[in-house]
Order: sequence, then structure tokens, then C-alpha cells
Amino acid sequence: MIETLLQTLLNGAASGGVYALVALGYTLVFSVLGVINFAQGALFSVGGYLTFLLMGGRIGVNGALPGWGLPGGLPFWLALLLAAAGSGLVGLLVERVAFAPLRRRNAEPLLALITSLGAGVVLVNLLQLLMGAEGYAFPHGSDALGGLPDALVIAGARIRTIQLLLLLISAAAVLALSLWLERSRGGRALRAVAEDATTAQLLGIHSEAMVRLAFFLSGALAGLGGGLIGVSVSLPGPYFGIGYGLKGLAVLVLGGLGSVPGAIAGGLLMGLAEALVPSEASGWRDALAFAILFVVLLLRPRGLLGRRTVEKV
Amino acid sequence: MSQPLLEVRELSRRFGGLLAVDRVSFAVQPGEIFGLIGPNGAGKTTLFNLISGVTPPSSGAVLWRGEPITGQPPHRLNRLGLARTFQNLRLFEGLSVLENVLVALQRRPRSSAAGGLLNSAGHRRAERQRLQAAWQLLEELGLTALAERQAGTLAYGDRRRLEMARALATGPSLLLLDEPAAGLNPAEKDQLCQLIGGLRQRHQLTVIIIEHHVPLLMRLCDRMAVLDFGVRIALGTPEEVRRDPQVIEAYLGTGGHAS
Repeated sequence: MIETLLQTLLNGAASGGVYALVALGYTLVFSVLGVINFAQGALFSVGGYLTFLLMGGRIGVNGALPGWGLPGGLPFWLALLLAAAGSGLVGLLVERVAFAPLRRRNAEPLLALITSLGAGVVLVNLLQLLMGAEGYAFPHGSDALGGLPDALVIAGARIRTIQLLLLLISAAAVLALSLWLERSRGGRALRAVAEDATTAQLLGIHSEAMVRLAFFLSGALAGLGGGLIGVSVSLPGPYFGIGYGLKGLAVLVLGGLGSVPGAIAGGLLMGLAEALVPSEASGWRDALAFAILFVVLLLRPRGLLGRRTVEKV
Repeated sequence: MSQPLLEVRELSRRFGGLLAVDRVSFAVQPGEIFGLIGPNGAGKTTLFNLISGVTPPSSGAVLWRGEPITGQPPHRLNRLGLARTFQNLRLFEGLSVLENVLVALQRRPRSSAAGGLLNSAGHRRAERQRLQAAWQLLEELGLTALAERQAGTLAYGDRRRLEMARALATGPSLLLLDEPAAGLNPAEKDQLCQLIGGLRQRHQLTVIIIEHHVPLLMRLCDRMAVLDFGVRIALGTPEEVRRDPQVIEAYLGTGGHAS
């Protein structure tokens, strides 16, 4: 009983960590531009497929180049890191095509919801064109995890190593990002731009460059999440990131728009709540997730840790 | 006359049907404290926005040490040595007092992002220098005791001084002050006067200051310009401006201006 509970909690925390990654990606862009990047889910997919290809996976029969694959295969760690960086670059591209032109023309910021959604749909379709709609499974076992055993026994409970890694890696990424935002020169500049881009610019900060940095980091977080979920579960098809993108959005609102600790708390709450749904009722997981969101917003419209928004006069 | 630090030539800005700034020209010499006065809506803040790159001018030119800088983005202008404060204070309210100043020290001294990632010795030294410079500015403006406070929680006078500390942190040669004495009591206004004079000395500053409190401006400024409905109606030393019949009619009235 205890073992099952431990396993369940770990699974919950692991998916909660991934939700937090996605939500933090939204948070970064939201805090500098005040809009949601709806391509975030597509970037999650991109990260998953990039990780697959970098680890030596081959394109299936329905893809553009059946049987093609990158020569050699990188170890899990390196593939994940490069896939995150690659997704960050794709995130920059999304900024360039879906956000920058609107900003230059001083368009209504809400329009970016539609352009980014469009960019996301295009990305997912490109993935489908290249990789086909079929699912891909990552090679499991020790060679994928760089010599680590497939499962560990902790306190009598058998735990899948990949779930533990999922939790550790997302926790490390979240911690590194928070420290960077809080302590470093660049993080300080990003927070200044988030509060008031014009003033930051008058103080010599290249606000546009910080916006691009936010998009890169945001894409990298989504890509990291996609790679982690791909390795731990599988890639069920190019659309698989969209679901995580929506879940991340729910977590973002749950935690409080624009709040970093809120995104982390919201992610963990969501992951744990889902994990506690018994597997016989697994069809109810998403319903539960959104029911939680509903109740929290009724009680606390600002989200768990959201700040009261101060109207500036 | 030496090369002006900043020159504004026939600068205009139109908002729809309104000419907020109408062919305004003047030049500011290095080391000068230059005043801008005029009734509300005369176009003073718009002029600051044009000079600092927040708003592009409709026509005319801004010259920096003789070179045209019209239409450059604010961060470029700031790197040239131009800093400003705002009439209605724009601090980063969620950041601490110290962080507000550190943000503005971002580029002094230079260190690369890669150095930051690797936490190299050079990067750590640069960060230490920034911290030192920030504390020095806080001390100069009497904010040391408030360093860890969130900027949004400061009292009004402290916010004004923090905004000045932050502008100074970018290492400007020209400081644009937009109504720095607004909301201060007479004693604080006196202190501000001394402070601005002292800052000019220690930081080799040139200052352009918008102010409604005419006695303060008369005491502080070497020269001043008067705007009315976007038009520069007078330019000269405080004494010359005080005697200018057009100014007396348009703005000062007969007995001076109470503020």
C-alpha cells in the first residue's frame, strides 16, 4: 500500500514538474509582453521529436524520408539539452513571425493569440509532414539512460528511473531559472523589462533583445518538457504537445498569471491531483484537472499565488 | 561658444490636429543647468519624450555633440550618455531599491553573457564593481537604509531620489529631470536644489530640468527656455527671462507664479 502511494506520488510530482516547465514558459513570455504564446504546445511536440531524432531515432514509413535518421545516436542527456536549445530557436522563430510584426505595427496585443495559435498549427503540421502521424517509442533500457538501471527500489517501492529523472531534471531546470531570474544581471534586466519596457530601455537595456531571450527560454522549457515526456512515455503523434500546452495553460492560471512560484505550485498540485485518480477512472483525469482550476478560480480569481493587479493611473 | 552637448533644431511633434511641440530650437552647453518652464500642456514633457527617443518627432532634428541622433531608440541614446526621470515616477516597483539601481548599471562595466553563465572571475569582479557603484549612489542620495525595501513601498520623496539614483547609474553626461520637485515640501525643495547642484559637480553633469516652481528654477538654472502652446517664446538667463514682456504676459503674470 505504502509502495503504491509512493509510486503514485512520484508519478504525480514528475508530471507536475513537466506541467510547471510548460507553465513557466508561458510565464516568461506573459511577463514581458502580457500575452500568451499559444504555440507553446507545438514547441513541446518539437522538443519531443528533436530528442527522438537526436537519440538516433529513425523516421517511420509515413514520414517525408522513411527510414532516415541522424547518424549515430547521442546519449539521453545530451540529446535532451540540444533538443531544448533547438526548441528555443524555434521559439525565436515563432516570435519573429507571429509576434514581432504585430509589435512593430503597434497592433492590439490580443491579436498575438491568433497569430501564435496559427504558428503552432503550422509547426505541428510540419512535424506531421516530416515524421508522419504515427507514434514513436523511445528505446528503453539501460543504453537509453546512459547505464542507469530501468527501475530502482527505494524504501521497498519499485520506481521507474525515468520518472525520477523527470522529476529531478524539471526541478533542476525550474530552480536554475528561478535563481537566474532572481540573482543574475540578465534576470534582473528581464524583470525590469517585464515591469516597464520603455523605462528599461531608457536605462540602456535593449528591451527587444530581452523579449527574444524570453522567447528562447520559453521555447527551451517547452522543448525540455516534450523530450522528457517522450522518453518517459512515448510520442503518440505530432499533436501530443497540444494537450500539455493546454494543461500548462491551466497550471499558469491556477498558480496566478505571471507568478513564477505560482507556476511551480500549480504544476505540482495539478500533477499530484491527477496521479491520485485511480487508473480505472483515468478517463476522468483531465476533467479533474479542470474542475480544480474551476474551483480555485471561483475562490481565488487571481490564482493560488497571483498578485493583486494594480491598475496604474 | 563651445560645441553644444545637445541641440534641438526646429523640433515639432503633431498629435492628430494638435501641434504639441512647434518648431522648438535651443542648444545646451556642457556643464549647464538648463530650465524648461511653461504652463501645463505647453509641451515640456513631450519635448523630453522627443529628446529621449520615447516618441519620434514629426519633423526637426536633435543633435548630440553636433551629430544627428533623431529617431534613435532610447537604449542607444542612453548609451550615448542621456538619462531621464519621469514626472509621474516610473520605478520598477516590484524590484528592491538596490536592484532598481543595479538594473541601470547593467552595462557598466561590460561583461559577457557567457562569462555570466560560467561565473568567470571577470564576471564576478564586474558584478562586485556594480554592487559597489550602486551602494555609492544610494549613499549619495541618502537611500542606503532603504536598499532592501521594495521600491513600491517607498515614501514619495524617497522615490524621487531613487529615480535620480537610477538615472545616474547609467553614467549620463546629460540628465533630463521632469518636475523633480513636484510634491515636495519647501524644505525638501531646498535640499533638492543643493542635491542637483552637487550632482552636477561630482558627476560632471549637464542638466535640463522641467519645473513649475519658478523661484527654484531661477535659483538653480544658468539659462532657461519658456514654452507656451508648444512654441518657445523666450530663451536666456533667468534674469532675462524674468524681464521678457512676452513671458510676463503668457505665464508669469505680474507678480510671479505661486506653486
